[in-house]
Amino acid sequence: MDHKSIYEDLSLIIKRSNRAYILVNIFLVFLVFYFWKVQIIDHNHFWNRSEANRIREATASAPRGLITDREGAILADNIASFKVSIIRENCKNFELSCQRVSRFLNMEEEVLKERIEKYEFLPPFKPIVIKENLTIKEVSMIEARKLEFPEIVLQTEPKRFYPFKSFAAHTIGYLQELSLEDIKSNNYKVRSLGELIGKTGIEKEYDSLLRGEEGKYIEVVDNLGRIKEKRTIREPVQGSKVKLTLDYELQKRAEELLEGKEGAVIVLDAQNGEILALANYPTYDPNKFINRFTPEEWIDLINNPEFPLENRAIRGLYAPGSVFKLTVALSALDLQLISDRTVFSCNGRINIYSHPFSCWFAEGHGPVNLTSGIKHSCNIYFYNLGKRLGIEEIARYSKMLGFGERTGIDLPDEKEGLIPTPEWKKRVRNLPWYPGETISVSIGQGPILVTPIQVAVHTSLIANRGESISHHLLKSYFDPLTEKENMVYPVTNENRDGIKSSFYEKITKGMYKAVNEGGTARLAMVEGYRVCGKTGSTQIVSTVRKKDAARPKKEIKTHSWFTGFAPQENPKVVVTVLVEYGGMGGETAAPIAKELFELHRKRHD
Amino acid sequence: MIDRSLVRNIDWALLALLLLNSVLGVVVIYSSSHYLPGNLYFKQIIWIILSLLALLLFLAVDYRKILPYSFYLYVTFVAILAGLIIFGKVIAGTKSWIKLPFFQAQPSEFAKIIVILLLAHIFSEYEINYLNWKTGFLALALVAIPAFFIALQPDLGTNLTFIPILFGALILAGLNRKILIFLLIISLVIGIAGWIFYLEDYQKQRLITLVSPSQDPLGSGYHILQSKIAIGSGGLLGKGYKKGSQIQLRFLPARHTDFIFSVIGEEFGYAGVIVIFFVYFLFLSRLFHSVDKSRDRAGMYIVFMVAMMIAFQFFVNVMMVVGLFPVTGIPLPLLSYGGSSLLTNYLGISLVLNVKMRRFVNV
Repeated sequence: MDHKSIYEDLSLIIKRSNRAYILVNIFLVFLVFYFWKVQIIDHNHFWNRSEANRIREATASAPRGLITDREGAILADNIASFKVSIIRENCKNFELSCQRVSRFLNMEEEVLKERIEKYEFLPPFKPIVIKENLTIKEVSMIEARKLEFPEIVLQTEPKRFYPFKSFAAHTIGYLQELSLEDIKSNNYKVRSLGELIGKTGIEKEYDSLLRGEEGKYIEVVDNLGRIKEKRTIREPVQGSKVKLTLDYELQKRAEELLEGKEGAVIVLDAQNGEILALANYPTYDPNKFINRFTPEEWIDLINNPEFPLENRAIRGLYAPGSVFKLTVALSALDLQLISDRTVFSCNGRINIYSHPFSCWFAEGHGPVNLTSGIKHSCNIYFYNLGKRLGIEEIARYSKMLGFGERTGIDLPDEKEGLIPTPEWKKRVRNLPWYPGETISVSIGQGPILVTPIQVAVHTSLIANRGESISHHLLKSYFDPLTEKENMVYPVTNENRDGIKSSFYEKITKGMYKAVNEGGTARLAMVEGYRVCGKTGSTQIVSTVRKKDAARPKKEIKTHSWFTGFAPQENPKVVVTVLVEYGGMGGETAAPIAKELFELHRKRHD
Repeated sequence: MIDRSLVRNIDWALLALLLLNSVLGVVVIYSSSHYLPGNLYFKQIIWIILSLLALLLFLAVDYRKILPYSFYLYVTFVAILAGLIIFGKVIAGTKSWIKLPFFQAQPSEFAKIIVILLLAHIFSEYEINYLNWKTGFLALALVAIPAFFIALQPDLGTNLTFIPILFGALILAGLNRKILIFLLIISLVIGIAGWIFYLEDYQKQRLITLVSPSQDPLGSGYHILQSKIAIGSGGLLGKGYKKGSQIQLRFLPARHTDFIFSVIGEEFGYAGVIVIFFVYFLFLSRLFHSVDKSRDRAGMYIVFMVAMMIAFQFFVNVMMVVGLFPVTGIPLPLLSYGGSSLLTNYLGISLVLNVKMRRFVNV
């Protein structure tokens, strides 16, 4: 192709393009002059405008949504509270202001300055909260002398209030001021500094539902910061009212029964997955911590050796002990390693892999089959099952049946627990797996760790003969904008493990006998109510609790478990109890469960 | 494969001006958003790196090989845009965002590049010296289809950017007076119809306040007024980096996105404005002068349309921040925060480089 001819042909195009280019340059020259006018000629005018400019957007926080129990009793409420803030741009002399204000409000100057420093990067017209929860006396004092202190402003805001104090404290959670780290972590993009956000529990899980929408205003203020005009763009909208599945009576009773002990109690509705009670002890009063400041009590609480802030029900890690025998029995049945007629003989001790292992009942149980093995919680029977299964199968079934992973209930920061395997041991401890450890694991001892909620959900699975349902705390929420009651969590049943329901049936028979025919869980028996249950006692060496100086040092301590459901057919309720250092499960945990079974029957039958 | 002579022929000066603009953008974004969560300036740096990679990758493909497929690309994108209308979730009031794990991509942005390619393809075979009705209508229709779906999202800013692309093609093809008058009448009709049927109240309000911003300083005149105050109060040398009261006290809205030029005006003053104007002058000159460095008709159309697209956005944005144009949501190309628009402009420049580096090659 001849290049020359192409270029001749295209010369018209180039001419047109150059014309457009000239137009672009004319525009540019025009803008150079126009900006000269705006920035140089009119500079004084705009400079004065910018100095006088006190039009700004302001926000008003929305009242947080209420939290209620299943019948509408308010568990988390809002009350009005006064706070006082400082506006730095109104301080004529910052040092002097700090001195005067700190004396006036009766607070240490250092504390005041520290507080202001924390928010230094905020624009100077933004109020920084310096004292809150003011008494009426303080409010009237500030109001009376406000002309002397133009740099401080009195503001009201809705404050969280938990009328029942420590009631279900771990489940409901508490609020804390959003910190700079929180903001930088990017999890709270739309939130502003100093705002109170849910830190734990339901307050955290459903923060987006509860927090509502803050109001937006445009304010015109003069150079002294006085508001001359205020225009509402959007009124604040209160957060949704969140109704929990908790049953006040059951929760209260559970907490009373735990009082003075350390442990957790869970009550589940076996039919629709609702969590009726989730109690922990020791506990704390969340009202004390709805503060922007860190009070000394808070530090005491964090350092308390009994960990009152810990939600043991979902975060406490314990060996399951004999409760785990149910899982082992199911695995062995499903793999057809045993039938319900298989019998092992127990004479109190046994040698496996040339190691002696003993039954808790030194005299021995004699010939034991599946039902009596569960009923008497015979160790020898389950040692034999563990030996037949091997650790890999035990681990596989445990995971399948919900251990070693979060149950997924609607509370944040749930723990996963631990199901040991040879690979795990190699990875973490760099040691080989010893066959003897499999024998320990088969009665729920050794490095295996579960949470009470996992045990409860596992029990619900057994109660429903393998039908798994999702357990939850949220019953419904009421959105004030749409004025609609939104039901969440439709009941979904799915058989996820594929284990025959007849196998579950066999397990429940053993659990029934454990309670009603003089088995280990006999103290959970309720007259005329077919309760099924299983106890567990796990021995731990006390080194775990080094921090506890007040407690006398003992070599071995025992955590006690009970988990069960009732009635045997068409179960309605699951109760799981864990008491730390409670001794034998049948003695401590089972009687607590009995009371809850009785109360549930009275309330829901 | 790219052979060495191609690499030698890359217009390094254009690439350097592109990156200079982007870096200036990061500096100003930092000043206007350092107190916001999310490290926006850092995200912008990531976007620049990603866009640069996309630009280089795109160079490897000869633009003449893409052109025959431009129609299929076009159909695919129109389908995506239509799909967004039907299935899209509303984000920030519009339906134009596709959710990606880390960033959000706006497919309507990429539609511009595709339309440039398609128009270049069509007009490269158009060898009459003046535009005729038939081709004019074809071009108009091809732009109108994606514009229709984008209008439904609704995204006015993106749609406006189709204007310089379409006019770019028509001007090169030889727009005569008759067709020009006809198009003006058509746009007047569309304008009136749009005012009545399409424009939201707030957009109408923006047009009204353009005429008189001080009429309602707390309402919709707020943005324009605050922006003008910011620029005017900057004076000759500005208030200093990170010291602009309008910006730091947050009187100015959309500081790091659409109104980033006001930040420059307030903090760096007239001097800063002139520097940006000068850099842009070099950048646009380089672009327009690349038109006669193309080997063929298609190349010329591509370069010219890209130049027009960037020049248009630049002028509309700068005029918007001083109140000479209504607030339309068109960002300042290469300087405003935002990944989609940055990537589109980088891909546009990539096309220009692509055309230029292949001007000597005989294939």
